[in-house]
Amino acid sequence: MAGYLGSYATLGLLLLASVVVFVGAFSANRLLRPASPAEPIGKRETYECGVDPVGGDWAQAQIRYYVYAYLYVLFAVEAVFLFPWAVIFDRPGFGATTVVEMAIFVAVLALGILYAWRKRILTWT
Amino acid sequence: MNALLIVVLAVPAAGAAAAALLPDRVGRIAGTVAAAVALLASLPLYRDSWFSYGPAGVRPWHEVDYSWVPALNLHFHLGVDGVSYPLVVLTALLTLLCCGFTLWRAPEPGRGNTLVALLLVIEVGILGTFLALDLVLFFVFFEVVLLPMYAVIAVWGDRDRAHAARKFVLYTLFGSVLLLVGVFTVVASAGTADIVALTGGGELSRTTQLVAFTLLAIGFAVKSPLWPLHTWLPDAHTQAPTVGSVILAGVLLKMGTYGLIRVAVGVAPEGARWAAPVLGVLAVAAIIIGSLVCLAQTELKRLIAYSSVGHMGFVLLGIATLTATGIQAALIGNVAHGVITGLLFFLAGAIKERAHTGDLAQLGGLRETAPRLAGVLGFAAIASLGLPGLAGFWGEAFAVVAAIDRGGPLWTTLGVVAAVGGALTAAYFLRLLRRVTHGPAIGSLAPPTLAPVEVAAWAPLVVLALAVGLVPGLVLGMADGPVQALLEALP
Amino acid sequence: MEDLSLPKIDYAAVAPMLILFGVACVGVLFEGVLPKAARRVTQLVLALLGLVAALSVIVWQSDTRVLTAGGAVAIDGPTLFLQGAIIVLGIMALLLIGDRAMEHGGAFVAQAAITVGSEADRKQAVKEQGATEVYPLTVFAIAGMLLFVAANDLLTMFVALEVFSLPLYLLCALARRRRLLSQEAALKYFLLGAYASAFFLFGVALVYGFAGGVEFGTIHDSVTESTQSTVLLYAGLAMIAIGLLFKAAAAPFHVWTPDVYQGAPTPITGLMAACTKVAAFGGLLRVLYVGFDGVAWDYTPILGVVAVLTMLIGAVLAVTQTDIKRLLAYSSIANAGYLLVGVLALSKDGLSSTMFYLVAYGFTVIAAFGVVTLVRDADGEATHLSRWAGLGRRSPLYAGIFTFILLAFAGIPLTSGFIAKFAVFGAALDSGEAWLVVFGVVTSMLLAFPYLRVVVMMWLSEPGESTPTVSIPGGLTAAALVIGVVATLVLGVAPAPLLDLTTSAADFVR
Repeated sequence: MAGYLGSYATLGLLLLASVVVFVGAFSANRLLRPASPAEPIGKRETYECGVDPVGGDWAQAQIRYYVYAYLYVLFAVEAVFLFPWAVIFDRPGFGATTVVEMAIFVAVLALGILYAWRKRILTWT
Repeated sequence: MNALLIVVLAVPAAGAAAAALLPDRVGRIAGTVAAAVALLASLPLYRDSWFSYGPAGVRPWHEVDYSWVPALNLHFHLGVDGVSYPLVVLTALLTLLCCGFTLWRAPEPGRGNTLVALLLVIEVGILGTFLALDLVLFFVFFEVVLLPMYAVIAVWGDRDRAHAARKFVLYTLFGSVLLLVGVFTVVASAGTADIVALTGGGELSRTTQLVAFTLLAIGFAVKSPLWPLHTWLPDAHTQAPTVGSVILAGVLLKMGTYGLIRVAVGVAPEGARWAAPVLGVLAVAAIIIGSLVCLAQTELKRLIAYSSVGHMGFVLLGIATLTATGIQAALIGNVAHGVITGLLFFLAGAIKERAHTGDLAQLGGLRETAPRLAGVLGFAAIASLGLPGLAGFWGEAFAVVAAIDRGGPLWTTLGVVAAVGGALTAAYFLRLLRRVTHGPAIGSLAPPTLAPVEVAAWAPLVVLALAVGLVPGLVLGMADGPVQALLEALP
Repeated sequence: MEDLSLPKIDYAAVAPMLILFGVACVGVLFEGVLPKAARRVTQLVLALLGLVAALSVIVWQSDTRVLTAGGAVAIDGPTLFLQGAIIVLGIMALLLIGDRAMEHGGAFVAQAAITVGSEADRKQAVKEQGATEVYPLTVFAIAGMLLFVAANDLLTMFVALEVFSLPLYLLCALARRRRLLSQEAALKYFLLGAYASAFFLFGVALVYGFAGGVEFGTIHDSVTESTQSTVLLYAGLAMIAIGLLFKAAAAPFHVWTPDVYQGAPTPITGLMAACTKVAAFGGLLRVLYVGFDGVAWDYTPILGVVAVLTMLIGAVLAVTQTDIKRLLAYSSIANAGYLLVGVLALSKDGLSSTMFYLVAYGFTVIAAFGVVTLVRDADGEATHLSRWAGLGRRSPLYAGIFTFILLAFAGIPLTSGFIAKFAVFGAALDSGEAWLVVFGVVTSMLLAFPYLRVVVMMWLSEPGESTPTVSIPGGLTAAALVIGVVATLVLGVAPAPLLDLTTSAADFVR
C-alpha cells in the first residue's frame, strides 16, 4: 500500500466491494424470485400514489429551475478557484495584486447576479 | 512623352466615370470628347524604331515603369512599340467612332450614356492590354474588358442576347483561367513578370515553355478566336448592337493575336516552335471552315461574323510560321481586319436598321434603293476579300507567302490550302454582294440616303482601308524593327 | 509548491483585451442599471469607444514583440495585425448591428424567449425595441477573438475559443424575424460548436501527453526532440485542427455554415463571416507555424486535401443556391479554402498573404451583408434570389455596389479580391504547392458563375411585382458600406501599404 498510487488502492478496493455487493444483490434477487411473474392490468402504467395517471410521462420542467441551477453552478465553480487562492494569497510576492485580481474575478460574477436581479430573474412568478 | 502613356489610359477612364455620372446627353458628349482626347494623345506616341535599340526582344519607344505592389513584385509597366502602336491608334479611333455614333443614335433599351461609359471602360482595358509590359498587368487589363462587353451584349443586344452573352462569358472566362494559370507558371518559374526581361524565354526550361505556351496559346486562341474555340464569336457578333460588334471585331479579337505574338511566342519561343504545326493546321482549318460556313449563311451580320473566323485564321497562320514575313503579315492583317470589319459591321447595322431585317433573302437591289450605301458596302466587301490595293490584301497574301517560304511539305500544303481559302473568301463576299446590292429590289429602305454622322463615322475607315492598302509601309515600316528584335531574341 | 510565483504581465501589451473585457462588463452593468430608453445609444457609443480605444492601444503598441502572462499570451506582429483587423472589422459589424433605420427597433428580437408565432411574437416583430444585450455580447465575442489570436498555449486558446463562441451562439438566436430559423441556426451552431470544442480539448490533452506541456514553444521543442510515440502527436494535432477548421468553416467541417449564416441576424452573419474567420485563421496560423512546424511535411498533404475539398464544395454548391445568404455562406466556405492555400505555403509570404486576404475578404463580406440588410419588404429581408431580380432598375446605386462586391469576390482585377488571391496563390507557388493553385484557379472560375448569375439577375431581369424595395440605409449602415466598398477598391488598386504592413508583421515570436 506504499508508493505514489498507494492511497488510490483503498479507493479501488472500495469500488470493487461496491460492485461485488451490487452484482451480488441483483444476482440473489434473480435466483430467489418466482419464475412466472403475474401480469395484472395496470402493472406497467405510471404509478401516481394510487390516483389514475394523467397525461404522458414526458413532462416539461419549468425553465426557472434551470436558471437557479445555473446560478448555483456559477458560484460553486467560483469556490473551486477561491480555495487555491486562499492558500497562497498571503505569501511573500503575492499580496495586493492577488487580492485585487480575485476581487475583480468575484466582481465579474457579482455583476452577473446584479444583472439577473435587475432582469427580475430571481423572483418566482 | 512617357506621361502620354498614362494619359491615354487615364482619359478614357475619367471619361467613363463622367459619362456614367452625368445626365444622358451630356454624358454621351463628355464620353465622346474623352475618346477624342485619347485618340489625340495616342498619336504622338509614334517614334521611329531607329531610336530604340539594345539587346532586348522588346524595345519600347516610350515606357513608364512604376512599382505597383512591391511585395508581390508587380509593376505598373507600360510601353509602346511598333507592334502595339498601330493597334493602340486603331482602338482609340474605333472607340471614338463608336462613341460619336452613339451621340447620334443610342440603341434601345437602356441609357446611351451608360453604353458610352462601358465602351470607354472597354477601351481602357484594350489599350492597357496593348501597352502593358508586365505580365500580370497584361492579365489585369485583359480581364477588365470581359464584363463591360458582357453588359453591352446582354443589355443592348438583339433578341437572343442573353444566350449569346452567356456563351461569350463562358468561353472568355475559360480562356482567362488558362491564361492566368499560364501567367502564374511563367512568373513563378522565371521570378519576374517583366515582359521585356522575359521575351526570348531564356530563363525558362523547355518543359516550362511547352506548358506555358500551351496554356497561354489556348487562352489567347479563345479570344482570337481560333477554330474550334470560335463558336462564341458568331453569336456574340450577331447579337451585339452595332457599336458592340464594331469594337468586338475591330479590336477585341486583336487582344488575342497580340497576346499570342507578344506574350505566348515572346515568352515561350521553344513552346511556340513545338506547337507551330498544330497552330498552323488549326489556322488553315479556320480559314477553310470559316469560308465554307460563310457560303451557307443567310444572315448579314452572321456572315460578317463568320468571315472574322477566316480572317483571323490568316493572322494566326502568319504567327504560326514564326518568320519575320509571317508575323508582319499577322500585324498588318490585324489592323486591316480591324478597319474593314469595323466598317462592315457599321454597314450591316445601317442596313438592318433601315430594312428591319438582316436576312439575305429579304434584302436585294440595294444598288437601286440606296446607291451610296451599296457603294460603301461594295467597297468594304472587296477590301475584305483581299483585293490588291486595299488593306485586306497584304495580310492574307503574305501569310500565304510566309507559309510557302517556310518550306517543307506541311507548310507548303498549308500555304496552298490557305490560298484556296482566300479564293473562297472572294466567293462568299461576291455572293453577298450579288444578293444584297444587285438583283431586283426587295422591300424598301428608309431613309435611303446616308446621315452625315454615318458618313463621318465611316469615312476614316474607308480612308484607312485605302491608305493601308496602297502604302502598307504605314504599318509594316514601324513593325519591322520590333519584329526583327523579337525574332532575334528567339533562340 | 515553493517555486510557485506570480507571472509577470505586460499590462500595456494586453491592454486591448483588458479594455474590451472591461467595456463588455460595463455594458452588462449598464444593462442592469440604465433606464430602457437610454440603453441603446449608451451601449452603442460605449462599445464603439471601447473598440476605438483598443485599436489606438494596438497602434501605439505596434512595435511590441513580447511573450507575457507566463507565456500564455504572445504579442507579436501577426497578433497585433490580426487584432487590429478584428477590431476594424468588428467596428464595421457593430455599425450594422447598431442600425435601426431600416427596421423599427433594429434587427434583433426584444425578448428571445418569446414563443415563436404567438401573439407576443407578432407584437414584438412589429413594435418593440430590440434587445440591447447584443452590444456587450458582441464586445465579449470580439475580445475573445483578440485573445484567441494572441494565445500562445493551447489552453488559453481553448478558453478564448469558448469566450468568443458562446456570445456568437446567443447572438445567432436573436433575429427579429424568422425566429424559428434563427433559433434552429443557434442550436445547430451551438451543438456542432460544442462538438468541435470537445475535439479541440481532446486534442490538447493528447498533445499534452506527447509534449508534456501546452505552450507552443514546448510543443515545438518536443516535436523536434521528443522520443515519445508520435501517435499522440498526430492524433492530437488532427483533433486540434478539426476544432479550428470547424470555426474556419473548412470542408468537411462546414455543414453548419449555410444554415447558421442564413438563420442568424444579417449583421451577426457579417460579424461571423469577417471576424470569426480572421480569428480562426489567426489561431490556425499560430498552431501550424509556431507549434507544429516540425511536422509540416506530415500535415501539409492532409490539409491540402482539406483545402481542395473546401474550395470544390464551396464553389460547386454555391452554384445551386437560391438564397443570397446561403450563397454568400458557400462563398465564404470556398474562401476558407483559398485562405488554407495561403496557410499551407508555410512561409513568410504565406503568412503575410493570408493576413492580407483575411482583411481584404473581411471588408468585402461585411459590405455584402450590409447590402443584404437593405433589400427588404414588409416581412423583413428578402433573401430569396428570385426576389433580387430587376433590382438594378429599382435601385441602381445599391445594385451597383453589390455588383462591385460580387466582382471582388470573383477576384476580378482592380478589386481587393484579385490582389488577395494573387498573393496567396503566388505564395503557394513559391512553396511548390502548384496543385493547390491549379485547384484554386479552377474553382475561382467556377465560383464566378453564381456571382455573375446574381449580377445578371439584378441588371437584366425586369423588376416584378415581388421585387422588394431597397431601404434607404441609416447613417451607420451607410458608413459600414462606404468603408467596405472603399477598402475593397483601394486594396485592389493600391494594396502596397497594407501588403508592406503584413510583410513587416509576419514574424511570430516563440
